Amino acid sequence: MAVSRTVKFVVTTFVVAGAAAAAWFAWQDYTRNPWTRDGRVHADIIEIAPDVSGAVAQVRVKDNQAVKKGDVLFTIDPERYRFALSQAEANVQGREQELEQRRRELERRTRLSTAAITVEAREQAETAVATAAAEYDQALAALNTARLNLDRTELRSPVNGFVTNLQVNAGDYATAGRALLAIVNSDSFHVAGYFEETKIRNIREGDRATVRLMGFPDEIPGHVESIARAIADRETAQTSDGLIANVNPTFSWVRLAQRVPVRIALDRVPDDIRLSAGMTATVIVTPNGGGQNRP
Amino acid sequence: MIKEVDLFGIYAPPMFAYAAAAAVIWIVLRWVLREIGFYRLVWHQALFNVALYVLVLSACISLVFR
Repeated sequence: MAVSRTVKFVVTTFVVAGAAAAAWFAWQDYTRNPWTRDGRVHADIIEIAPDVSGAVAQVRVKDNQAVKKGDVLFTIDPERYRFALSQAEANVQGREQELEQRRRELERRTRLSTAAITVEAREQAETAVATAAAEYDQALAALNTARLNLDRTELRSPVNGFVTNLQVNAGDYATAGRALLAIVNSDSFHVAGYFEETKIRNIREGDRATVRLMGFPDEIPGHVESIARAIADRETAQTSDGLIANVNPTFSWVRLAQRVPVRIALDRVPDDIRLSAGMTATVIVTPNGGGQNRP
Repeated sequence: MIKEVDLFGIYAPPMFAYAAAAAVIWIVLRWVLREIGFYRLVWHQALFNVALYVLVLSACISLVFR
C-alpha cells in the first residue's frame, strides 16, 4: 500500500507551514508581552549629615537596626555648644542691661527743657535706644542659633527605616554637612523594572503588575506607577565644549532594544519577605487594554 | 508561568523551561505517530519532526502568554 508522493508532499508542507506561522505568533507573544527578568528593588536612601561639627559622643543605633521617625541616631559632643549657649545667654543679659540704660537716659533727657539740652543730644539718646534695641534683638537671634546648634548635636532619623552599613563610631570627628550614616526609608520600597522599548508600548500607568523576587516563591502584587521619560542617548558622546553633537561614526547591523525603567509600586508586601534595596526581581505587567496574560 | 529556571544557581529565562516541556511532549508524540503509522504519509521525516517540535513549542509559549 503505497501512499502517493503528492499526498506525502502536501502533508509535510502543510505541517511545516503551520509550524512557521505558529512560531511567528509565539515569538510575537514572547517578545511583546510586558515582562522582564531585570527588575531591581529600590528605596530612598537618606544620607544623614550632622548640622554641627564635633566628635561623635554616642552612637545610639546598631547596624541594620530599624528606626522610627524622630529616633536619636547619634549625638555629637555637646559641651562646646552648651558653652556657646551660656555665652549667648550672657550676651543677651548684657544687651538687655545696655538697652535699659539707654532708655533711662532718653527718659531723663526728654524731661529736660530745650534750654538745658540741645536737640542734637536728645536725638543721639533716641538713636542710642534704637541701636541698643537692635543689638538686643541680635543677641536674641544669636541665642536662638546657639540653642538650635545645641539641639542639632542630637541627630534624629527623619523617616521610618533601617540603618544600613553603619560606619560611624563614638569618637569619630563629624564635620558639618558630610554624610556619616545612611537610612533606608522603609516606606519607600518600590521596584524599577527595566523593560525593552518594544514592550513599553503595552504598558500604561495603573496596569496591574506582579513582582517575584529572585529566590522567593511569593508573588508581590503591585501596579505601574510611572514610566521614565528619559534615558541617556548612547549614540552621542559628550564633547568637551558640548556645543555640537558628537555621534558615533558607525551604525551596527545588530540593533539591541534599549531599556526604559518602569516604576512599580508595591501594593502589599507579604510579611515573610524582607526587602533589601538592590534585590533582583522579575516583573510581569498585565496590560489593561490588550489580551489578558497569565503570570 | 513566567518564571526563571534555577539551574544550579544559574537563572535561565523561562523559554528554557518551555523548550524542555516541548521536548518531552514531542518525544511522546513522535512515538505515538510511529505506532499508528502516520509516518507513511510523511515526505521527509526529519523535516516533519522539526516542524512538529516548533509547533509544540509555539503552543506551549502561546498557552503561557495568552
